[in-house]
Amino acid sequence: MNKQIITASVCLLAALSVAGITGKNFMEVKKPDELRPGPGVTQTKMLSDYFPDIAGTNADSTVYVMEGEQPGGKMLVLGGTHANEPSGYLAAITFVESGKVEQGTVFVIPRTCNSGFTHNDPQEGSPQYYTIQTKGGPRQFRYGSRAANPLDQWPDPDVYVHAASGQRLSGSETRNINRTYPGRPDGTLTEKASYAVRQLIDTEGVNLTFDLHEASPEYPVINATVAHETAMSIASNGMFELQMAGIAMSLEPSPTNLHGLTHRELGDYTDTLPLLMETANASQGRLRGKTNADLVLTGKDKCYVKAQKLGFLYVPYDETGHPIEERVGRHLQGIYEYSKAYSAQYPESPIVYNGLPSYQELFLDADPSELGGTQLGKYLN
Amino acid sequence: MSIELIIFLAMVVVFAGGCFLLKLPVSISMVLSSVVGALVGGQGIPLRHLVEGTFSYVDTILVIATAMIFMKVIQESGALDALSALIIEKFHKIPALLLCLIMLVIMFPGMITGSSTAAVLTAGSIMSPVLILMGVPMLETACIIAMGGILGMIAPPVNIPAMIIGGGIDIPYVGFEIPLAILTFPLAFLFVLMFGYKYAKKISYEEIAPKLNTEPREKFGFKVYIPIFAAIILMVVNKAVPQIPDLGMPLVFLISAVIGLFTGYKIDILKTCKEAINSVLPVLGILMGVGMFIQIMTLTGVRGLIVTSCISLPNLLLYVAMAISIPLFGAVSSYGAASVLGVPFLMAFLAKDQIITAAAISLIASLGDMMPPTALAGIFAAQVVGLKKYTDVLKRCIVPALILIAWAILIIVFSPQLAAILP
Repeated sequence: MNKQIITASVCLLAALSVAGITGKNFMEVKKPDELRPGPGVTQTKMLSDYFPDIAGTNADSTVYVMEGEQPGGKMLVLGGTHANEPSGYLAAITFVESGKVEQGTVFVIPRTCNSGFTHNDPQEGSPQYYTIQTKGGPRQFRYGSRAANPLDQWPDPDVYVHAASGQRLSGSETRNINRTYPGRPDGTLTEKASYAVRQLIDTEGVNLTFDLHEASPEYPVINATVAHETAMSIASNGMFELQMAGIAMSLEPSPTNLHGLTHRELGDYTDTLPLLMETANASQGRLRGKTNADLVLTGKDKCYVKAQKLGFLYVPYDETGHPIEERVGRHLQGIYEYSKAYSAQYPESPIVYNGLPSYQELFLDADPSELGGTQLGKYLN
Repeated sequence: MSIELIIFLAMVVVFAGGCFLLKLPVSISMVLSSVVGALVGGQGIPLRHLVEGTFSYVDTILVIATAMIFMKVIQESGALDALSALIIEKFHKIPALLLCLIMLVIMFPGMITGSSTAAVLTAGSIMSPVLILMGVPMLETACIIAMGGILGMIAPPVNIPAMIIGGGIDIPYVGFEIPLAILTFPLAFLFVLMFGYKYAKKISYEEIAPKLNTEPREKFGFKVYIPIFAAIILMVVNKAVPQIPDLGMPLVFLISAVIGLFTGYKIDILKTCKEAINSVLPVLGILMGVGMFIQIMTLTGVRGLIVTSCISLPNLLLYVAMAISIPLFGAVSSYGAASVLGVPFLMAFLAKDQIITAAAISLIASLGDMMPPTALAGIFAAQVVGLKKYTDVLKRCIVPALILIAWAILIIVFSPQLAAILP
């Protein structure tokens, strides 16, 4: 046989083998993590129940409904807006698995951008999973991408024009759900997903909405709450309590010229009071060193320690990192204090729940050797 | 010595050994280097990461492949010859203006797509015969096209690196137009005159008229230009009317190429496509290799080492570090350099005007497209004029590149004053 044909055949076979192995791996990550809802969950719905157009697509996502025995206000918790920001995802899951609502109703969407959990960003070297030892044994959780999967929405335009405002952003932001609010029923899949969230808020009459995020330590808005002007009084009262609990939190007003984000558009287009919280996540930062599941869970990173010394960061950073317990704890304590402030301000529709660990229990009182997943696992089923 | 530095050195040594000792293609050397980097970093052979990295450039690869098919089609159909003859006939009496107009034409596809490759492979290939007919040597022609491509990518209205840098700290892409115009157009006119005026001023229409191929124009008339107009219209229409869906550059090029099959000389489409893909295959391989390379650098912590080392320099040296590191990192990708280094440097200069500084950093990031091994603007500029060695183009563009960096730094230094006088 011709030598060239043999060489070409060998190369083709090798390429097909690699494609087969990695293709199988790629398909496997589409399988959603198994969640183990606790007794607080009274029913589950789908986002498509509020906007049927997304049924059967990767934009559809489970909505956990937690109804209290007494009537009250309604609260929505958005986790997993960005699938590479695990504290928001895990805080939402902890709520679903350990929370119990007494008054009012809480809706929790752990995977707000479900499509973002089905892939990873090229060149980021991200882990596909991280493992946490829980009450029910070791559990794997997906680490995904900031944006929806290009297989669900492709190609990106050169420039993404936010439909409601005409704001222009780089083309890849077209797949970032937190740049597509208030969404469009006839838009891209990501715009449809954000429209479905808006429909949920309108249909259920959600009073208070939390969007849980993480930011790289060099990002100026970090360890912060961003509030729409309508939610500012609740945010300031809640923040006072957070600071009393030893949690340094800054309060930022939602910029009026930055569009597509929950804290701006949900406040402008619905009656809900939107708040967005950010914690420090090294695994999504530009300055990070070795990238793996340990970094995701512990936040320990020598590059960030160096960057802190150089004055490049907006959060304190030392060798102890920012473990997942601290980050999830900030979110849970934040939801608690802000919802308490809401209930105080709107006593006719209070939201009261229990069963969730405080920041103190989850982080401050924890055995340091158990930080990085084990301590959080005690509150997961 | 840190483990990250050892990994980095191992990757560089294997890459250089592959290229220079074993004479392997650049793309294969990058694959080997990535595998060795992963092994030294204790990652084994992480197939998933190696493959995932190659997907960074899927869109770019499609743009390059389809743009090259389009270019070959308009070459074979006679459209290029017809347009060259027309431009020279109309503007030969005013060579300086002609050169500036040619530069604007070269920049145009970059201005509306944010891609230097699109500019070089489309308008660059259309304008190269014009420049050569005007007496500009091939090397200088390639330099004009390459610099036009990267300045077009930065010039308003669409500048992807600036969007990426601004997006890193949530600055919307608003108010960039004037700073970007100030940054790019003076340089564009300076460079085209630097490279071309001394040849073009001696232009004698009588001498070059016989060399012009006017046959396609005479034979096919206006219709020979239709594929070029189709490409321009399809590129612009969505920008002018955002309600019209964006077709995407690959589809724009393919539609225009299909139109080109019916507007001029008969074309063997299979042969033309094969030639087009063959000519860009090495570059496409490099892009995939580079994607793999950077994925392993990120995975193993080498990227963090490089970025933190760059920003750890003393304040005054920050400008020097930015001027060196961003174009160097741009060897991987100018967009990647904008994201990985552009954002930290913008944050280091927060005391300056943020929009003007982000715009100026994006200008420096554009030089990544002149940095080997990717050097997309340099490689394709050499290719469209028919030069065998693209490295000569890069060498010749060193002075303009230094001027570009100096201009960008000057604008950053005086950005507060500039912001005060801009509308």
